[in-house]
Amino acid sequence: MQSRSKVLFLVEVAIFAALAVVLDLFSFKAWAQGGSISLQMVPIFLMAFRWGWKGGLLTGLVVGLLQLVTGPYIIHVVQGFLDYPAAFTLVGLAAVTSGLAQKAAKQNNRFKLALLLIVGTLIGSLGRFAAHFVGGMVFFGSAAAPGQSVWIYSLIYNGSYLLPSFIASIAVIIILVFAQPKLILPKH
Amino acid sequence: MNNLLIVGQYVPTNSIVHRMDPRVKMLIIFFYVIFIFFANNVISYGLFTLFALGSTILTKVPRRFIAKGLTPVWFLIVFTFILHLFVTREGFVLFHVFGLPIYSGALEQGAVISLRFFLLILLTSLLTLTTTPIEITDAVESLLGPLRRFKFPVHELALMMSISLRFIPTLLQETEKISNAQASRGVDFRTGPFRERVRAVIPLLVPLFVSAFKRAEELAMAMEARGYRGGEGRTKLRELRVVKRDVAALVCFIVITAAALITRDYS
Repeated sequence: MQSRSKVLFLVEVAIFAALAVVLDLFSFKAWAQGGSISLQMVPIFLMAFRWGWKGGLLTGLVVGLLQLVTGPYIIHVVQGFLDYPAAFTLVGLAAVTSGLAQKAAKQNNRFKLALLLIVGTLIGSLGRFAAHFVGGMVFFGSAAAPGQSVWIYSLIYNGSYLLPSFIASIAVIIILVFAQPKLILPKH
Repeated sequence: MNNLLIVGQYVPTNSIVHRMDPRVKMLIIFFYVIFIFFANNVISYGLFTLFALGSTILTKVPRRFIAKGLTPVWFLIVFTFILHLFVTREGFVLFHVFGLPIYSGALEQGAVISLRFFLLILLTSLLTLTTTPIEITDAVESLLGPLRRFKFPVHELALMMSISLRFIPTLLQETEKISNAQASRGVDFRTGPFRERVRAVIPLLVPLFVSAFKRAEELAMAMEARGYRGGEGRTKLRELRVVKRDVAALVCFIVITAAALITRDYS
C-alpha cells in the first residue's frame, strides 16, 4: 500500500508538470491577443493542494527543470537558477493551506475553502514573483548602466505578466475545485 | 513522427556537437557562463567569441534556427546598446546625436555588454539546439548523482522528468482534441472579456485534469506490474560515455579559457 501510493505520487507529479508546460503553450495560443496570461501555475497549485508540501514543491521543481531543458534564457548562473528551478519550486508554497483546504472541501465549507485557496495561490505566486524579481535584477543588472534602478525594470516586467496570470489562476482554481472538490483530495 | 515526440528547440543534424556527451556540453557551458564575466579586454573577449562562434559552426545547425532562438533577445541586446550610448559618460565626446553627446566609453561599454549578452544566449541555446531534452535529463541525473548521499531524490526527479517529457506531446494532442470538442459545442476561448474567457477554460480543464489523473493511475499500475521499485540497481537503456571527442572539446575549452584568463587586464 505504501509503495503503491508512492509510485502513483511520482507519476501524478510528472504528468501534472507536463500539463503545466502544455497549458503554457496552449494559453499563449488561445490568448495571444490578451497578453501572455498563462495558466501554467494551475496544475502546480492543484498538486500543492492535493499532496501538500512535497507535491507542490516537487511539481514546481519538475516544471522549472522542464523549462530549463527545453530552451531557457540564461545570462548568469544565479539568474538561471532563480528564474527556472527556484521560481517554479516556490509556486509549490501554495501547499501552506493544503491541509486546511482539504478539510474545508470535505466539510463542504465553500467560503472557507475559497479563502484558503486564495491565500495558498497568493503565497505561491508571491514566491514565484520574488524569485523572478531578484533574477530579473541580476538579468537587467548585467545589462544596465551603473546607477540605473534595475529593480524598477524587474518589478514592471515581472509584475506585468505575473499579476494577470495570478488573477486568472485563482479564478480557474476556485471554479475548478468548486466543480470537482475531489481534485484536491488524494486517493489514499 | 519522431519529431513530434520532441519538445523544445532540438534540431537533428548529427554533427560532432550533437554526438558529444551531454554532461560534457553542460559542464562547458556552465563554466563558460561563469568565466565570460572575467573577460575585460579585446583579446579575452575575442577568445570567448571565437569559442562560441566555432562551436556554433561545428553544430551545423542552419542559421535560421539559431536566429529564431535569439529573436526574443535581439530587442534587449539592441536596447542595452542604445541605453548605454546615452547614459554612460566616460571617456571623451565622440560626436553628437540629436544634440546629445556620445562618449567613447559609452560606445565601448555598450558594445561589450551587448556582445556578452549575445554570446551567453548563443552558447546556452546551442545546448538545447543540439541535445534532446531527454539527454539533458540523463546528464542532470548523472551530474547530480553525488547529491544522492544527502537523500536528494535524484533518480526520482530524473524519472519524473522523463515521464513528463514523454507525456507533453500526448497531453498537447489531448488538449487540442478537447478544445476542439468544446468549441464545436459553442465554447469560445478566443474572444470576449477576461471573465468570459476564464470561464471558457473550465470545460477544457475539467476533462483534461480528470483524464490526466486517470492516465497517472494507469501508468503507476503498469509500472508496478512490471516490478518498478525505485532507483536501486536499475539499469539504463541509454548509457552515457565520455569518449575522445568529449575530451578534445574539454581540452579546447580549458585552453581557451586559460588563455583568456592570462590575457585579461589585471591592472
